[in-house]
Amino acid sequence: MKYLLTISLLVATYALWQCTPQKSSAYDIPDHVPPENKALFIERAEKGKALYKIHCGGCHGIFTKGKDGVPNFTSIQIDNYHATALIGLDPKNHAVAKKMSSEQIDYVITFLRIRKVK
Amino acid sequence: MKILSVIAAIVIMTFCFSFNLQQKKGYTDLYNQSVNEFDGDLKSLLLSIKQTDLTDTSAVSLLRKQIGVSRLKLKGLDFWFRYFEPVAYRRINGPLPVEWENEVFEKFEPPYRREGGGLTLIEQALDEKTVTRESLEALLLPSIDAIRTFRADSITVNLASHNHFFLANRLFLLNLAALYTTGFECPDTNNIIPELRSMMIDVNQTYQTFDASFNATPLTKEYHEMFRKTISFVNAQPTEFSLFDHFLFVKDYVNPLFRMNQELINKYSVVTKNYNDYSLNNDCMSIFDKSLYAPQNTKGIYSLIEDEEMLSEVKRMGKLLFYDPILSANNRRSCASCHKPTEYFTDTTQATAFQFDHQQRLSRNTPSLINVVYNHLIMLDGKHISLQDQAKDVMHNTAEMNNSEKELLEKVLSCKEYKNAFKKFLKHTPEEKKVSLSHVVSAITFYYADFSQYTAPFDNAMNNKETISAEVKKGFNLFMSKAQCGTCHFLPVFNGVKPPYIGSEFEVLGVPEDTGFHKLSPDKGRYLINPAGETMNAFRTGTIRNASFTKPYMHNGIFQTLEEVVDLYDAGGGVGRRLAIGNQTLASDSLKLTKSEKASLIAFMRSLNENIIFDTPPTGLPASGNKSLNSRRIGGEY
Repeated sequence: MKYLLTISLLVATYALWQCTPQKSSAYDIPDHVPPENKALFIERAEKGKALYKIHCGGCHGIFTKGKDGVPNFTSIQIDNYHATALIGLDPKNHAVAKKMSSEQIDYVITFLRIRKVK
Repeated sequence: MKILSVIAAIVIMTFCFSFNLQQKKGYTDLYNQSVNEFDGDLKSLLLSIKQTDLTDTSAVSLLRKQIGVSRLKLKGLDFWFRYFEPVAYRRINGPLPVEWENEVFEKFEPPYRREGGGLTLIEQALDEKTVTRESLEALLLPSIDAIRTFRADSITVNLASHNHFFLANRLFLLNLAALYTTGFECPDTNNIIPELRSMMIDVNQTYQTFDASFNATPLTKEYHEMFRKTISFVNAQPTEFSLFDHFLFVKDYVNPLFRMNQELINKYSVVTKNYNDYSLNNDCMSIFDKSLYAPQNTKGIYSLIEDEEMLSEVKRMGKLLFYDPILSANNRRSCASCHKPTEYFTDTTQATAFQFDHQQRLSRNTPSLINVVYNHLIMLDGKHISLQDQAKDVMHNTAEMNNSEKELLEKVLSCKEYKNAFKKFLKHTPEEKKVSLSHVVSAITFYYADFSQYTAPFDNAMNNKETISAEVKKGFNLFMSKAQCGTCHFLPVFNGVKPPYIGSEFEVLGVPEDTGFHKLSPDKGRYLINPAGETMNAFRTGTIRNASFTKPYMHNGIFQTLEEVVDLYDAGGGVGRRLAIGNQTLASDSLKLTKSEKASLIAFMRSLNENIIFDTPPTGLPASGNKSLNSRRIGGEY
């Protein structure tokens, strides 16, 4: 009985440990990024995540259900979106993105690009 | 019977549809036909180059004539080419063999090398002693190659909708105001106005064909009427470009056309797929309105805050910080120490400011902060891509404020007033968990950017709100013609940002180290950021707005008066004063300006002094918990 309890405790601990968010595993950083820049990528992605949750997620999903007819960012969608966003055509007509600074757009895009999509 | 009527309906619908297609085809046909003709012209020009004996002056003058004919053909295509693919256009009619560019949407990337070729460069090469048939061919082949770009489906697909037309027309009108009358890409000044006349006729044909093909989105009657008047005006004006009335042309013709075209862009809900429209504002109704193109982002980290009350609090903090020497390591130097708000945010008493150690001097003159927001790259060497980056750099720079981020923030947050305000702002900047340097610099840029909103008597005159003297008009006309100023200081800001206002230009003027022109200034300029042969000693073109209040002049503050500056250009820059500079971009021939012409030019510059409402310094600075900091002076010291 005591034996069983120990095992189940161990299992529970492991399960809990799995559930805690781990920054390093939340993102897929491209292989070409030099190791010394990986921390910078994660830092930017974390900033992007914070901005996204408040200013983008309400319509585009990920942390909420999002809205119908608004892209819920899959990795293919983000590739397409990235190109237009960076040359500024879309943000000009986008209620939120057009107000953002270039850095803020960069943070959000970094988050969307390197976050792990299940 | 029923079947018959259905058939009839189908026939009618098919007819209408094909008629509609036929009509749209008219516009596309005009484009294709013009491209084909121009392509043929270039190919026969190539043949002529191969056969011309370049030592035979009469054969060379025939060649020049042929180039002239091709140029006229190109002027008809300019409307589309410049808008569709400016990089390829440069190989057909580039002003320089090589240009390095960082446009506003590619600021994060290293500068691009853009090769020029084509008609302007060939014409210039013919004047050189070293010219060979091979060198001319090498300039022409890229043009013939570039034509393929303009035949690509990705380009011609645009011709099927009305969207590109109004946007290309906007660029055409902006170029009409800023470039086409100045000789920007026309080495022979005798051809500037004749080419303009021919171009106006061609564009009129483009308009007519467009209206016939796109009858749901035509130009208005009012527009056509104004364009007809413009053609008459251009035809009635003298052929000599320095006698042409550039002032009236822009004020009474081009600017109203621009407004009407902007109205149509809104009316027809025109959408863009072209990066040439990146910074232009569809709601701006005059070329001489400061909303014409998007300035630098001045809010930085506060970009997403919209609450007016909070923003005015950000601005208030920005002002306090601007005057607060707490930002420097020795607590003696503030932004205002060098960018004196009482002197147009520059320092008119120093050629270049003292370094932090108060022993040595910085290498460059303090720039005025007024209208810096209208540059896409910041600093005279274009080192920074945002105002916030520039401000951070000054604070870290050991020669300027010599502070670390950690120390600076500790000191700032030791003041209760700052601390409370930033804590409040922090709730609205989710990307940062703690108060950061971004919070400090963004408040500062948001504060000083306010002083760039004002207009000058010249703007008011262009907008028919004020009259200006004949002398000023004469000065502007010289500026746009004989004095060759307008080819680098582009209207309306009169800085190095030319239509469509997406990049900043750099020029090599040959500014001397001493007023006796014994030596070239050793400052490498743009080369320090982007090392290339062309960028050595190049500096970003500044605005001439408020110039008479922002002495001393040039990157090293070598000149005290506008007269000296005009003399430098009149002499043909450093080369004109016998300095050996291989890459000067300013023409080295004397402009041969008379005394009274120089006076008019300066009168025009003075008409660009803006009616700025300056504010008064803060009455006190926030008290710090660290008592030793509380003796700091408002605005610091110098």
